[in-house]
Amino acid sequence: MAELTAFSFQSGTSLLHKLDVRFKLLFLILISLVSLGGGFTGLGALTGLVTGLSIHSRLPLKSAFKEFRFFLIFLVLILVARMLATPGTAIIEIKSFAITRSGLMSGVLICWRLVIIAFVGFLFIYTTPSSEIKAAVDWFLKPAAFIPGKRIATMMGLIARFIPVILNQARETTEAQRARCVENRKNPLYRIVRLGVPLIRRTFEQADRLIVAMEARCYSENRTDPDLSATRTDWLALLVIIIICGWIVSI
Amino acid sequence: MDIIEIENLKHRFADGTLGLDGINLKIRAGAFVVVAGPNGSGKTTLIRHLNGLMLPTDGCVKVAGISVQKDLMRARRLVGMMFQDADSQIVGETVYQDVAFGPENLRLDNDQIRERVSLALDVVGLKDFAQQRPHLLSGGEKRRLAIAGILAMEPKVIAFDEPFASLDYPGVKQVLRQILTLHQAGHTILVITHDLEKVLAHADRLIIMQKGKIVRDGVPAEIVDDIETFGVRAPCASHLGMEVRSWLN
Repeated sequence: MAELTAFSFQSGTSLLHKLDVRFKLLFLILISLVSLGGGFTGLGALTGLVTGLSIHSRLPLKSAFKEFRFFLIFLVLILVARMLATPGTAIIEIKSFAITRSGLMSGVLICWRLVIIAFVGFLFIYTTPSSEIKAAVDWFLKPAAFIPGKRIATMMGLIARFIPVILNQARETTEAQRARCVENRKNPLYRIVRLGVPLIRRTFEQADRLIVAMEARCYSENRTDPDLSATRTDWLALLVIIIICGWIVSI
Repeated sequence: MDIIEIENLKHRFADGTLGLDGINLKIRAGAFVVVAGPNGSGKTTLIRHLNGLMLPTDGCVKVAGISVQKDLMRARRLVGMMFQDADSQIVGETVYQDVAFGPENLRLDNDQIRERVSLALDVVGLKDFAQQRPHLLSGGEKRRLAIAGILAMEPKVIAFDEPFASLDYPGVKQVLRQILTLHQAGHTILVITHDLEKVLAHADRLIIMQKGKIVRDGVPAEIVDDIETFGVRAPCASHLGMEVRSWLN
């Protein structure tokens, strides 16, 4: 039995699972845009909303945070850079470096926004099959005749399908290396190279096998997409999200 | 009627290696054929020509009377293929979506897709797993899922590439039972393996390949005695002068 990454679709009966994918895509864009301009109160409200939806959708939070560990390194770097680079009243001074209050506030704010955006994306992937993502992107791009909508939609669907595969490969390769005591090597660069090279090679091999399997089953861009239909619940949810986003923008 | 006709098939890989060297082969509809041979003998290369995943350097492959090259989609619809690594064949995020993948590519309408998926899952006994993540299935279940994905495209021929590799005993029995059910339902079955023990009792034809050529072709009982000279282990029963028995008995 395989252990699976949480970063993939899981069928369910939650509200988010039932919503039309086009509305979910809109919510993703709206919440991301609003969080980029939100302050502490607004981000607090969005955090409450995202946490509530995560619990309701039964998103495995422990596994989600585990998948986020590499992203956390990125956030720490942003926080440190903001703390050191923003002018203002110094809280701590070490030699010529000073951590400022305004730097700390702005760093926390930026990281908080990114975490919210990442979690909304996580929720979207967790509650939406990639075939529906493809159908929705295709639907949104249809009016723009000059954009190859079907191709873009197919690529997005495949990316959503492939992320868990890459994460699984990364985990398996890491475990194989830990079994051979890679942890004794303290040089992070050495470890990154040792992980990265086989991971990239295995990912491409896996991609090759997947392509052959898809070709054997007549894969093409022109395929039957799932039926998309908006219900009253979708419109109601859109109204609620617009009200919340409007309130956050206004404060 | 011969459903597969291969004439003077040659395949040369990009590095110049000759993968197949003048294969001539006819397989009648409804046959149960086992193709055996050591690693690198050309078994997988041969079956990948049946649905155009590989194209001949020379020669011709026909499925139900029409050249594979002339109509690739038709060949892929008529010849279903189960790969050695069932995991790499899984395309959908749920069992249902994986089985629906083929019919969606055939541009069937959603009602027809639902009907075909439901039927295929029923045949392989995975109906209760429809909303399950495929990667959480056991090895035998994954192979049954791969079979369901093929069945949903309603093929005439099903080719299995090492269907029993890395399966435990119950898994082997599950898959073997499934293969026999498909054969009884009228499908032409091709099983590629270097492990004859598990399947030979059910085959009506055995083909041995070596270095890209067919070196033996006939009724299993008649040719099984000297196959070890070609790098294929004969079933234990034949060593003892006994009839090869099914794993399902």
